Amino acid sequence: MSQWMTLFQKEIIEMWRNFKWIWVPITFILLGVKEPLTSYYLPQIIKSVGGLPEGAVFEIPTPTAGAVLASGLSQYSTIGVLVIVLGTMGIIAGERKSGVAAMILVKPVSYLSYVTSKWAGSLLLVWISLFIGYLSTWYYTGQLFDWVPIGEFFQSFVLYGLWLTLIVTVTVFFSSALLSPGVAGFISLALALAVSILSGALSHLLEWSPSQLTSYAGALLTAGELPDDTLPASLVALVIILIFLLFSVFVFKRKELAS
Amino acid sequence: MELLEGMNWGLIAPLFIIQLILLIVSLVDLSRIEKTNGPKLLWVFIIIFVNIIGPILYFVIGRRND
Repeated sequence: MSQWMTLFQKEIIEMWRNFKWIWVPITFILLGVKEPLTSYYLPQIIKSVGGLPEGAVFEIPTPTAGAVLASGLSQYSTIGVLVIVLGTMGIIAGERKSGVAAMILVKPVSYLSYVTSKWAGSLLLVWISLFIGYLSTWYYTGQLFDWVPIGEFFQSFVLYGLWLTLIVTVTVFFSSALLSPGVAGFISLALALAVSILSGALSHLLEWSPSQLTSYAGALLTAGELPDDTLPASLVALVIILIFLLFSVFVFKRKELAS
Repeated sequence: MELLEGMNWGLIAPLFIIQLILLIVSLVDLSRIEKTNGPKLLWVFIIIFVNIIGPILYFVIGRRND
């Protein structure tokens, strides 16, 4: 356990060194806060940009606070996922390429703690960034529109966190299975995109698909209650996370012994 | 100017500040790092002139993590 903690601390320190603790939370804040601000100032922006004929009147309905918060949250499942995957894809593949992994594994470090400490490190970063970013989006929405109940905020936060955890785990898996960080990132992104599109298109068949967690979080914010399929979807997400994590340790071990 | 007066600066100022932090951090990192993906000078311009997205792009793509 103490060995695991050492590896974990190394991860945290390394993320300080390459400023991940600064730029990932800031990116999440800017991504989320942009939504309430632009939807609040949209009428003024249109007016100042001009180009409308004299006397043209069109009403932009004021969105509800829940809808604004949901659209801010949805930024995290598009650009947020992109940032996470591109930031995580190198964590194992990169170290293997540069030879750091071999240097660490010469010592009596178990493969399990090597992979899981990296996984836990990037997970901590993602959850903290998501929390800071989403909290500021919630605050801005409250200031400009209406306050969304804090309970709904936390529920949708956990649902999104679960989906992003799945993304991180899949990226870690491909990062340990493949030598090239670029290929690992590309495959993870393609997979996440394919699953999202597929379960979006067949949403009545795949209610339990983990990528539906994002739309359930949105539904909670706009409609005020959780769809019934949230629990199975979360359970499926947890199972898949566990399977991918175990597989990545397994694959990493085989690859590392073979080379 | 009407647009500027109608804004709530208490809400917008913090965003400028964190954007500035992002800009400074990325420039500091760029000055310390040995090699980037692509010419270093190019990244200086991207960070300074591409608003908000420039520094993020640098950290995501420009930085070499080894």
